[in-house]
Amino acid sequence: MKTSNTIFMMLLVITVYANDEKYVEQMGKQIQNVYTAKSIEDLQIAVNAFDRIANAEKSKWEPYYYSAFGSIMMATRTKDATKMDSYLDQALASVEKGKALAPNESELIAMEGFVYMIRVTVDPASRGAQYSGLAMQTFGKALAINPNNPRAMALMAQMQFGTAQFFGSPTTEACGMATKALALFENQKPASPVAPAWGKEMVTGLLQSCK
Amino acid sequence: MQTLATFFFIVMMTPVFSQTRISGKVTDASGEGIPGANLSIKDSYDGASSALDGSFSFTSDEKGSHTLVISFVGYKAHIQPVELTGKEIVLNIVLKEEINQLDGVVISAGSFTAGEEKRRTILKPVDIAMTAGATADIAGALNTLPGTQKVGETGRLFVRGGDGSETRTFIDGMVVLDAYGPSAPNTPSRGRFMPFMFKGTSFSTGGYSAEYGQALSSALVLNSKDKAEMNQTDIGILSVGADVAHTQVWDRASVSGKVQYTNIRPYFNLINQKIDWKTPPASLEASAAYRQQVGKTGMMKFYGNFNQTDYSLYNHDILDPSLKQQLDLTNRYRYINGSYQQEISSTWSVRGGLSYSYNQNNTKTEGVPATETEAGLHSKFVFEHSFNEQLELRFGSEYFYRNYEASRFNTILNRDEAVSFTEPLLSTFAEAEYFASNKFVVKAGARFESNQLNNQNSVDPRVSLAYKPGKHGQFAVAYGTFRQTPVNQYVRVNQQVSPEKAEHFILNYQVITDRKTFRVETYYKRYNQLIKYPGSNPYQITNEGSGYAKGLDIFWRDSETIKNVDYWVSYSYLNTERDYLNYPHSAVPSFASAHNFSVVYKHFVPKIKSQLGFTYSYTSGRPYYDPNQSQDKFNTSKTPYYSDLSANIAYLPKNNLIIYFSCTNLLGRDNIFGYEYSTLTNVEGVYVGRAIRQAAPRFLFLGVFITLSKNKSINQLPNL
Repeated sequence: MKTSNTIFMMLLVITVYANDEKYVEQMGKQIQNVYTAKSIEDLQIAVNAFDRIANAEKSKWEPYYYSAFGSIMMATRTKDATKMDSYLDQALASVEKGKALAPNESELIAMEGFVYMIRVTVDPASRGAQYSGLAMQTFGKALAINPNNPRAMALMAQMQFGTAQFFGSPTTEACGMATKALALFENQKPASPVAPAWGKEMVTGLLQSCK
Repeated sequence: MQTLATFFFIVMMTPVFSQTRISGKVTDASGEGIPGANLSIKDSYDGASSALDGSFSFTSDEKGSHTLVISFVGYKAHIQPVELTGKEIVLNIVLKEEINQLDGVVISAGSFTAGEEKRRTILKPVDIAMTAGATADIAGALNTLPGTQKVGETGRLFVRGGDGSETRTFIDGMVVLDAYGPSAPNTPSRGRFMPFMFKGTSFSTGGYSAEYGQALSSALVLNSKDKAEMNQTDIGILSVGADVAHTQVWDRASVSGKVQYTNIRPYFNLINQKIDWKTPPASLEASAAYRQQVGKTGMMKFYGNFNQTDYSLYNHDILDPSLKQQLDLTNRYRYINGSYQQEISSTWSVRGGLSYSYNQNNTKTEGVPATETEAGLHSKFVFEHSFNEQLELRFGSEYFYRNYEASRFNTILNRDEAVSFTEPLLSTFAEAEYFASNKFVVKAGARFESNQLNNQNSVDPRVSLAYKPGKHGQFAVAYGTFRQTPVNQYVRVNQQVSPEKAEHFILNYQVITDRKTFRVETYYKRYNQLIKYPGSNPYQITNEGSGYAKGLDIFWRDSETIKNVDYWVSYSYLNTERDYLNYPHSAVPSFASAHNFSVVYKHFVPKIKSQLGFTYSYTSGRPYYDPNQSQDKFNTSKTPYYSDLSANIAYLPKNNLIIYFSCTNLLGRDNIFGYEYSTLTNVEGVYVGRAIRQAAPRFLFLGVFITLSKNKSINQLPNL
């Protein structure tokens, strides 16, 4: 009986491991797809895949996180304001689903702020005041949970830089933040193969404009 | 050992499980392929996205009964049971369109909506605040929209041949009485509520929902902001006063308060006014707002506004301008509004509220006192139920209790005289909205009113529908009957007087894209039961008056063609006559102008970090009656046309600092709004006329606005 128990346990471990392997493998593939997507269509395919994984896994926040990221990328690639809003609505819905599983995940909160940041660009004149404040506040929340979240810092720097540029005020504070973000990127050790790792290029690009 | 054998057996068997291929095509109702739709075997990783032509093909390792879910944004998810046996499954899936909140057909006849920023709207709240010439007055900004007639000496909204009293203001669904502040005779008054308080404004020039009653021509529905998001202190230093506001935010609640002191005395000492002021107006205003989130979906709002204004001036006699009469006024105003809304379930929601308005004018004419007080309590609840995505029902009830009292000192009898009345009004309304598709919507409802002052019951039907054949253009029509108790000065004479009635017929066409709007609307309006009395006797009041108004409104807005420039152009044509009040026969009322034209231009110049704004308004001559002519010439004389070019500049030197300057009537045109005549003839037997003019050619305003918050990127731009 003891043997069969052991075997049963082994079997369980193997299946669980196999499932996790499948998860990591599928996620890894789709994460690459989002990073290298050339069109809205490519992004939609990846977003769909993340949604399928999210629905199948039920307890993992990462698929929702990347689904939101993909939707935001879709929003940045269209000029149609109604479409932009509809992609951003999708993104926010995914963030909310992720937050229901991991309410204090700094990465998800940073992603939420990212949605607000892109909302501003749809109609800066009438949305700027409301959403830029909301975005800054949300990035602040993400950094309060994890001060070493490079993406939260990078997005905040980006937002700050845009605002400073708009008002023609010095960008030193924003650039300081960007430098800090770069250091965070260099020291980041992803907790798992599916942990968020994007954003370094954004910061190096920003630091270029700082020079 | 046997267990182990079974285990190996199972492991060996696994590869033998055959895969099932699922293929086919996803299309919309018209057969057009939908690309990018998500096909997924529920609870598994298996699935695919449809290709550009809507086709798809994928394999699944699952076995047995499963559910295939097909979803795509803008469409209802389709659920398809499948049996996975290894045999290929071919499916043709038709997705049903979802009723689209962002881009679908909407009820549009008669209404201008600002806010709900994700929708394509004609105006945004910031537009209202930043319109040159309006000096951040809601009515002033809405006066640049078609359907309104400029009546410069009142500052109120006159809509489609309607009088200023025919427009009613609502905040969060609750009635506001006396929505305009006090002003000197024949000078424009300002709205009591600043545009920055509101996240959305819906200005209806006709055919509005059965939810709103007691308004003959227009409903101005203001929705206040929700919970504030951050702590901040705002300081404003104005050429006519100062204000300070603070907002404190908690996790689920926020409180903000504002104190404002306005004193125009130094300004009037500097710039000569046509009005003979003894003491120009000064006012002290305090307002506070409290927001509390309740549960998951509930929101409770309280708002209070307290204002006191004083002034004193001399009215000069028309016949002998050296004769003057001193008029002192003290106005006290309170408005309290509490509202609550909550979702009861996924298909039911409820909202309700209570508002209280109190307005008292204490006047002294040459020291002889008179008082006029109006107080009203309004309570309302509304239930909303969606049967499904397409059909929604809204119904509710309201009770409105209003008390009016006027008293004055009778110098002959040497005692106070008072008149008063109380009007309790109970009403119920129901309205259904049905979206047949994203192309067609119909809204139909009725409003029942029981007036306990004159013991009359009434039912008013309201219908509107809209059809959107293409991507951007849509047609709409609306019909409705509307009624309103006559203004207080007539009801206090005859409490049994019936409400005045109007019937609206509206036809509208509009094309809205992201940054361009074209809108044309034509209407016919019939007035009945208007107040009428013989010229000689204003106490003999009847409801025998009638009238009509018809016209055409055109609106064009473009923020796309020229970079950093946003402009809109409005034109209204109005043809109206009334036989009411003491009119000897049907005639054009003195507030009506046939042609109104305005252009609002806003230009953001990044180089100087400033927004420049210009507004040009033109109004054709308004009728007046010269009593030296016979009565058949009643209201046939015309004033010269009105025109005004105003400018403003908002300069943002730092993130949290705004310097704002505005000037009306740059060209200094001496506009004449009408003429008043002496009640008696002079020695030559002639009635002497006097033009009603602007108090000063221009009004200049300078303000410095500072915002203090932890986050330095916040400024008061949306507040201006």
